[in-house]
Amino acid sequence: MLIENMRMAFSAIRANKMRSFLTMLGIIIGIGSVISIVSIGDTMRSMFEELYRKIGITQAYIAIGYWVDDWRQSDYFTLDEMERIKEIFGDEIAYIDSDASTSGDAVCARTTVKFNYVGIDYNYQEVQPVNMVYGRFLNQGDILGRRKNVVMDTNSARNLFGAENAVGRTFRTTIYGSVDDYTVVGVYRKDLNPFQAMMLGASTEGGEAFLPYTILTWPNDYFYDIRIFARDEATMDVFFENLKNYVARSKERQPEDFRLVTAKAQMGEMDSMMGGLATAVGGIAAISLLVGGIGIMNIMLVSVTERTREIGIRKSLGARTRDIMVQFLTESAILSACGGILGIFLGGGIVLLGGRMLGVQAIVKPGVVVLAVGFSAMVGIFFGIYPASKAAKKDPIEALRYE
Amino acid sequence: MGLWNRERTEDLGGSGSGERKWKPDGRPESGDKGQEESGVGTDWAERLQALWKMGLSRSRKLPEYITENVSEELIQLEDLVKVYDTGALKVLGLKRINLTIHRGEFVAIMGQSGSGKSTLMNILGCLDRPSMGHYYLDGVDVAAMNPDELSLIRNRKIGFVFQSFNLISRTSALKNVELPMTYARKGKRFREQRARTLLERVGLGKRAEHMPNELSGGQRQRVAIARALANDPPLLLADEPTGNLDTAASVEIMELFSQLHKEGTTVVVVTHEEEIAAFTERIIRFRDGEIVSDKPNVPREPEQKEAGPNEKGH
Repeated sequence: MLIENMRMAFSAIRANKMRSFLTMLGIIIGIGSVISIVSIGDTMRSMFEELYRKIGITQAYIAIGYWVDDWRQSDYFTLDEMERIKEIFGDEIAYIDSDASTSGDAVCARTTVKFNYVGIDYNYQEVQPVNMVYGRFLNQGDILGRRKNVVMDTNSARNLFGAENAVGRTFRTTIYGSVDDYTVVGVYRKDLNPFQAMMLGASTEGGEAFLPYTILTWPNDYFYDIRIFARDEATMDVFFENLKNYVARSKERQPEDFRLVTAKAQMGEMDSMMGGLATAVGGIAAISLLVGGIGIMNIMLVSVTERTREIGIRKSLGARTRDIMVQFLTESAILSACGGILGIFLGGGIVLLGGRMLGVQAIVKPGVVVLAVGFSAMVGIFFGIYPASKAAKKDPIEALRYE
Repeated sequence: MGLWNRERTEDLGGSGSGERKWKPDGRPESGDKGQEESGVGTDWAERLQALWKMGLSRSRKLPEYITENVSEELIQLEDLVKVYDTGALKVLGLKRINLTIHRGEFVAIMGQSGSGKSTLMNILGCLDRPSMGHYYLDGVDVAAMNPDELSLIRNRKIGFVFQSFNLISRTSALKNVELPMTYARKGKRFREQRARTLLERVGLGKRAEHMPNELSGGQRQRVAIARALANDPPLLLADEPTGNLDTAASVEIMELFSQLHKEGTTVVVVTHEEEIAAFTERIIRFRDGEIVSDKPNVPREPEQKEAGPNEKGH
């Protein structure tokens, strides 16, 4: 009987192709927009997660809290303190530096490019993948000897020297007021997708270079924060808490006076924000499903009237109220579910296509797809109840007489 | 469906305990298996098993008014009155009709339009209910039944043939013939097989897959007759069956009815044409909601072959 009903429903839908399609359109658009919004949300979340993985999920900064009123000089850090932290927490720290950076114009022959300089330690590569293509990375000798050597990415090299392989080339720049010549010892390639490039603020015009942190931070300097990569993601929370307590104690402060920013916590916040946003917008999009459902109800009412005679015939042949009811409910459910399936293709297609165009891996979760089809069938059944019961209640004599 | 069909006997939630004793005319009702008594054992496991079996088979018995009664008088009308309440005035459609039609008769109901013959037709077909009086169909008073019970009666006891054929469009002849069996919850294989047999019987074996709009009027009406016979009902009700047909097709259809009658089906034809009524064995004339004459008729024999079985006189 069910199969029979489904067969009849498909034949009725086929009989009025254009009308059925227009009716489905409401559901198609509704489901399509819900799917695409939820999928965009999922994609964004995974992109942010990837981004945070890229910059290092175990990364953290510690600094005096901006909410503390009476900043003292002792609230800042010195290299001695950093060394002490390295000694105490050595097992748990994968990498530590003074988070120093500055900018200045790099000049080579007639070319001037605005550069950002980031001070790093020699073992930076252990916590951040750096894809070297020419030359070498900074080594321990560069750091300890405060050598004016830099490593830059291919894009910066092209901007400044007009060629990617800039190993051995020198340029002149001003850092903290002193003009010096710097030598390129290595060139690496940034592999960022467009989204990451945007989020990390990589510009195509300027330049960026790593240089020894010892050039930017001198033994008697006071600096605002320390950058640390934990060795183990599983125990990093405890470690960072201990670190904060230690720092606060050594500076005669309370732990809550210090600000600890971890990439992991930031990612969590971002994730829940994106999730909330996707749910809210998806909910609004779901309202369009309601409109689609009303469209189905409308067309089913028309269909019931048109097929009054058929209903009469069926009743004369022994169809009971319930049989007619189920027949029309099946039809509206199938109409709606077909719309739902087409909507998935629409929404999924848009997301996948958009993802390809933006160069990101779009995500369409199968659970969302199943939920969407199920929901659209439910919409069909719900909005089919009234037309179906109208059909089922028809008087057989009147219905048979209907022209 | 498939899996369930073998076990399923009949549907419709009627209670009715006791075993089915009778099958109409001794014709085998296929897909119809006597349900075993749910053995109430002392053992819980046994009981559970019985329950499980019942659940599995999903067998629901037909109510007794379908299964139990057999009556020599197939149709019995007692003081039947039909009043149409049009709001402003009440119109008497039928005035105290008393009528008996026996099993196996071939009857024509005649009258001008407005004579009440259509009203009677609707009531005989269980599409409408009388305002007063009794209508016993196969020994059961159907006057007070609810719409779903009437649906079941129509499904099992009555085969309709309409003036305008009333086939379902965009649905093959085969599927049209299957329809009453679908509503009787017969299995797919059984339905298809029987539908093909019936279509062959009305001479349309080769047109089973055709859509109604691909068939001529006469062919459509024969599909309708095959459909009317689907559940092997005791009563065939034809409402102006030749009204939309040319003479040749009309004769063909009426000969088909004669044939069915000779095979034992009770046929009631409502018509206003004398030539059509001439095929039947009994002619009942209506005027103004009353029977004005009820006479036996010697049917016009098709000029070919054998004489029919013993005529019934009244």
